[in-house]
Amino acid sequence: MKIEIKKFGDILISRPAGREAFLALLAYQLRDIAPNEPIEIDFDGVLVLSPSWADEVITPLVERNALVTLSNTDNSSVQATLKTLREYSNLKI
Amino acid sequence: MEEIKDKVWEWVLAEQGAQFEPDAEYYCPTRDIFQARLDRMTRVMLQDGGTGESHVYLLSSIAGEIGNNSFDHNIGIWPDIAGIFFSYDILGKTKQIVLADRGVGVLATLRKVKNELQNHEQALRTAFTERLSGRLPERRGNGLKFVRESVAMDHFHLSFYSGDAVAELNEQILIIKNDRSISGCLANLMYTTELELDTKKK
Repeated sequence: MKIEIKKFGDILISRPAGREAFLALLAYQLRDIAPNEPIEIDFDGVLVLSPSWADEVITPLVERNALVTLSNTDNSSVQATLKTLREYSNLKI
Repeated sequence: MEEIKDKVWEWVLAEQGAQFEPDAEYYCPTRDIFQARLDRMTRVMLQDGGTGESHVYLLSSIAGEIGNNSFDHNIGIWPDIAGIFFSYDILGKTKQIVLADRGVGVLATLRKVKNELQNHEQALRTAFTERLSGRLPERRGNGLKFVRESVAMDHFHLSFYSGDAVAELNEQILIIKNDRSISGCLANLMYTTELELDTKKK
């Protein structure tokens, strides 16, 4: 399945907003997804991403599912955020 | 911009307990208002075109981290005025984004989980270099590391004040005592456009 991050907004900054996004994902999109089903996280259309928002969404998604891939990560804030999460939040992707 | 700097310092230096709100145009009493104003700043910067898109995204992300930190670490314990001061000058010669709060500050926050911290300088060093958050057991503590690395990567300059210390960040990090002491935090993020950077290189 594909998760389009821009559907949560294009400026994604705060932890509370990230937590809300992840809870919505759990309820509406991930409920029936098996842990080994591939998930593509698509950042197309995202203008601003921060580690606070991403740490509430991307980190638990990757921990929950073994087959997560990331796409359209060219945006500078997306790249910097992913680098920070890999370094400080043990994001393994 | 001098006027904004005067106003922010006047606000953060006001006597503890003073119910002194900044001018409405600078004051974000809640996170939602801050988010809306940050969105607007980002779109104005993109439309203006004076700052490259890549820089705009990172500047906005840095400002978002710093502003949200104020709310994350002071919720329920604001000493007097809740919320933050947020202003920017993206058209002037010196481009700056200013954020401040009258919260408890970095030292008080981090001492909850690192009791051995002796002063504000040590607290700032910990905040910018160690993965540690005052909000244990939550998994946090990467925001200011992101800020430090992004500032260095895109050649910005950040002056981050808390207590009687200031962290001056660019490609390096220098933490020294400041002659003025504040209870919360004040951040002044400065940058130049790509055009100005190119001119300087020549």
